[in-house]
Amino acid sequence: MQGLPGKAAITFLAPMESTRAMRADLFDPASLAALGRIEIVSRWIVDGFMSGLHRSPRKGFSVEFAEYRPYQPGDDLRYIDWKIAARSDRWVVRQYEEETNLRASIVLDVSRSMAWSGAQMSAGGPARTRETTAVTQLTKLEYAERLTAALALLLLRQRDAVGLVRFDERVRTAVPPRARNGQWRRIVASLEEPGAGRASSAADALHQSARLISRRGLIVLVSDLLMEIGEVETAMRGLRALGHDVTVLHIMDPAERELPGAGEAVFIDPESELSVPASIADVRAAYKKTVDEVIGEWRSMFGALGIGYEIVSTDAPFGVPLRQAFAARQMLP
Amino acid sequence: MSFLAPLYLLLGGAVAVPLLLHLLRRRIGARLEFPAARYLLRAEKENSRTLRIRNLLLMMLRIAALLAITVAAARPVARWLGAGHGPTALAIVVDNSLSSSVVVNGRPLLDQFKGMAKDVLSNATPSDRLWLVTIDGHVRGGTPAVLRDEVNRLEAIAGAGDPATSLSRAASVVRASGLEAKQVALVTDGQRTEWQRTPSIADAQVLVYVPTTRPPANRAVTLAEARPTRWTPRGSVAARFLSHDSTTYRITLNGRTFARGTAAPNEEVVVHASPPERGWLAGTVELEPDELAGDNVRNFAVWIGPAPGVSGLPSAGPFVKSALDVLRSSERIVDGHDITVVGADELSSLPALITAPLDPVKLGAANRALERAAIPWRFGTRRAGDAAVRGGAGFDGVNTAVRYDLVAQTGAVAETLAVVGRDAWVVAGPRYVLVGSPLTADATNFPVRASFVPWLGSVLTERLVGEPGQVLEAEPGARMPRPRWADGLETVDGQRSAIGDVLEAPSRAGTYFMTRNGRRVGALVVNGSPAESQLEQFTASELSDRLHAARTLLAPDASAWSSMAFRGAARRSLLEPALLIALVLLAIEAILIGARPRRMA
Repeated sequence: MQGLPGKAAITFLAPMESTRAMRADLFDPASLAALGRIEIVSRWIVDGFMSGLHRSPRKGFSVEFAEYRPYQPGDDLRYIDWKIAARSDRWVVRQYEEETNLRASIVLDVSRSMAWSGAQMSAGGPARTRETTAVTQLTKLEYAERLTAALALLLLRQRDAVGLVRFDERVRTAVPPRARNGQWRRIVASLEEPGAGRASSAADALHQSARLISRRGLIVLVSDLLMEIGEVETAMRGLRALGHDVTVLHIMDPAERELPGAGEAVFIDPESELSVPASIADVRAAYKKTVDEVIGEWRSMFGALGIGYEIVSTDAPFGVPLRQAFAARQMLP
Repeated sequence: MSFLAPLYLLLGGAVAVPLLLHLLRRRIGARLEFPAARYLLRAEKENSRTLRIRNLLLMMLRIAALLAITVAAARPVARWLGAGHGPTALAIVVDNSLSSSVVVNGRPLLDQFKGMAKDVLSNATPSDRLWLVTIDGHVRGGTPAVLRDEVNRLEAIAGAGDPATSLSRAASVVRASGLEAKQVALVTDGQRTEWQRTPSIADAQVLVYVPTTRPPANRAVTLAEARPTRWTPRGSVAARFLSHDSTTYRITLNGRTFARGTAAPNEEVVVHASPPERGWLAGTVELEPDELAGDNVRNFAVWIGPAPGVSGLPSAGPFVKSALDVLRSSERIVDGHDITVVGADELSSLPALITAPLDPVKLGAANRALERAAIPWRFGTRRAGDAAVRGGAGFDGVNTAVRYDLVAQTGAVAETLAVVGRDAWVVAGPRYVLVGSPLTADATNFPVRASFVPWLGSVLTERLVGEPGQVLEAEPGARMPRPRWADGLETVDGQRSAIGDVLEAPSRAGTYFMTRNGRRVGALVVNGSPAESQLEQFTASELSDRLHAARTLLAPDASAWSSMAFRGAARRSLLEPALLIALVLLAIEAILIGARPRRMA
C-alpha cells in the first residue's frame, strides 16, 4: 500500500483508524477503480484484505511457514518471532501459507444488464435528485470484474485452484481451475474478453463450471440475477447434487434497489427490450416492495438448497463481498 | 351566480393539463435504460388497480382544484351563497343634526350613530366604494380607514341640516359608482320636523334605522332677538322658550350676564337694556342644559352706540319736526348735527333724510343739491293724484297725492324701500334716504300715520347711523349672496377670513361678525331652526313610507342595521369559498401523495 498512487484523492467511506484507513478493500470502489487496472486494484484489495485477517479464526488449519514480514500494529502477538526480536531488536511476524486442495470456480455474469450503473439514471433520467448516485459509479460488471479478480487472487494465495467462467447468453470464457503461477493473470486477461450479450444463461455456465471442477469444490456465482429463477434453481440443484458448495454474490446497483429520481419515463430492459412506462414517484414504493420480494424469493430458494447468498451493492467497498465469499471458503475443509 | 371578471374563466382551459398528462402518460417521450425493468413491470401489475384509482383520483383532484382557482379568479358572486359580500357602492348617511346630540340613556345619540357607522365600515372590503354623507349634505369618499377617521371627527351641527339633499347626494354618488350593488345606509333619529321633505331614490336600496327609544322632554330657546338691532344705546332683547313648564333663563351680552328671569312656556320675554358697551356685540339667551344641550343657547347680535344728534330743517315740514320731538323725548335721538332731516333744496351735508321740496319751483335747486352731495338720484316729473304706496313695515295704508319721479343716475346703487306703482318712492343709499314727496299732509298721508314716527326713528337710528352693515340670520350651513357692505367674516375665536361671492354660514351656532376693511360692520347670527327642538320622531316604517326608494330595508335595531349593510344589496362573494375549496382539494392531493408509500408498501 505504500506505493498507492493518488492516495490523497481517495475518498474514505468512514473515519477509521490510520491503519485501517490504508486498506484498499475498504475504499470507495469507484474511487479505487479509478486508480489503476484490474490486476493492480485487485492486488491492493487482497493485500488490504489479508492485512485485516488478523482477527480471523484461522487456528486449526494446517499451515506452512512462508516468510517474515515487519510487525504492524494490530498483528497477533502470537506470531511475533521473539528470537529475532531478541537478537536483532526487530519486530517481525511469521507468515504461513495454507495448504489446500480446494478447487474453486468463479462464474461471472457478463450480460448486457451487468454493464449498467445507476449513474445512467441520474445522467439521462427524467429528473435529477439528491438520491441519485454519483456519476463516477462503477457499472455492475466493472464492480464484479474487480471483485472476481480480487477473489481469485485471494483464493490463489491460499493455494486453492481457481478457475473462471464468464457467460452471457452463452459461455464466453472458461478458464479451468489451477493453482499454479500465472493462473491469476490468465483470469485477469479473461476478464477483458467481450461479453454483453442480450441474455443471461446461468444454467449453461454453471454446468460448464461443474464440468471444469473434477471433484467437489466451490462455485461462486457473481451475477445480477436478472434471469429466470427456475432455470437457476435447476442448475443449482445439479451443482449441489454433485457435492459442490455454491455461493451467490447478487450484484445490485443502489439505483436498482431504490429507484431514485422523479418524473416519468419509459424504462427499457437492455436485454429483453421490455419497455415499462412509469412515474417514478408513483411506483417507487411498489417497486421497492417488489425488489424485496424478489430478493426474498432468491434467498429462500438458495437457502433451501444450502447455498450461500449475499447481496452486493456496487457502492460497497470490495472488502465487504470479499469477506462474505472468503467466509464461505473458510467453512470448507 | 355571476362573475365580476368573467374573462378569467378562460383559465379553465388549464384543466386540460392534468387531463392530458393523465391520458398521455403512457406516451412519455423520455426513455431510460433500466435492467430491472421486469421488477418495475411486476410492481405495476401488482399495484395496477391501486395506482389507477389513485392516479384517477389525483387527476380529478387537480382538475377540481384548477377549476376552483379559475372560478375564484373570475370573482364569483351569488345572492344566497358565499361569505362576505360583492363589491358594493355604499353611502352611509349619518344624521348629525342638532337633534342627534340629544342624550339618551346617558349617551349622545350621535355617538351611537357613529359606532354603527364604524361597524359598517369594518365590514367593508377593498372592492367596495364608500362614502360618508352628513346631514348637512357634505359627502366624503375614501377607504374605510379614512372614513373611520371622518366618523370619529363627526360632530353634531347646530341645525337641522338638509336631509333631502343629503339623501339625494348619497344616491347620486352610489349611482355614479358604476357598481351593480348600490346601497344607501341611513341612520337617523327620524325627527318629524327634519324629514318633512324627502327625495326620490329610484335605483338604490335604502337601509334605514330609527331608534325606538322615546325622545326626552326638551327645553329650548326658540327666539333671541335684539330689538332694534342698533341700540342708541337703549334697546331690548326678545326671547321665547320651548318647555313644558316655566323655565329660568339668562341673557348675556358680550359675555356678561345682564338679565335673568323665569318665563312661562312659549311666552315671549322682552328685556330692555341700555348697556355701556359700544359697537357690534354678540349676545346669547340661555337655559339650563338639558338632554339636548345644543338648543339651550340662542345667539343674537346688536350694535350699540350713542343716540345720534339730529337736526330737522323747516324745509322737511312740520310733521317731521313733531316726530323728531317725540324721538328726542324718548331719548332715541338728541339735538345735534350728525343727521339732517331736510328738504332736498336745502341739502348741504350727509347723512340726511331728504324729502322732496315743498315748492315745485325749487325743484332745480333740489336736483343741484343732490348732485353736489353725489347722490345718484334726481327728482323728475311731478305727479299729482292719489296713489297707494307699497313697501315694508310702516308703509301699510300710505297714499300719496303729490310726488316726484325718482330718476336714477348712472351708477346709482340704492335700496328701494317703497314704491308707487312701479316707480320708486323711497330709496336709500349710503348715508342717505330719499323720499319722493314732501312730508306734508297735502302730499302724502305718511307723516300723519302712526307708523311714521317708528319708521323715522328706525331710519335715523339704524340706517343713517354708523356703518351701513346689518345683522344677517342664517341656519348652519346656509348659503347666501355676499352682502355688498362686507368683505370678511370674523369667527367666534377672532380669526378673520375673506368672503367669496357666496357666503356659507358656519356649521356651528354663534355670532360671526361681518367686517369691511378690517372693521366690524355687521353680524351673521347662526342659530338652528327652532323646529329642530321638536324631538317628536317618525317611526322607521313611517319614515320608510316617506322615502321614495326602489327598495327600503328597515333595521329593527342597531346591530341589525350594521349587519344588513352590504349584505342586503349585494350578492355575496364566492371568492373565499372557492379558494378554500381549492386549498382543501390541494391539501387532499398532498395528503394522498404523502400517504402513498405507507399505503402501498
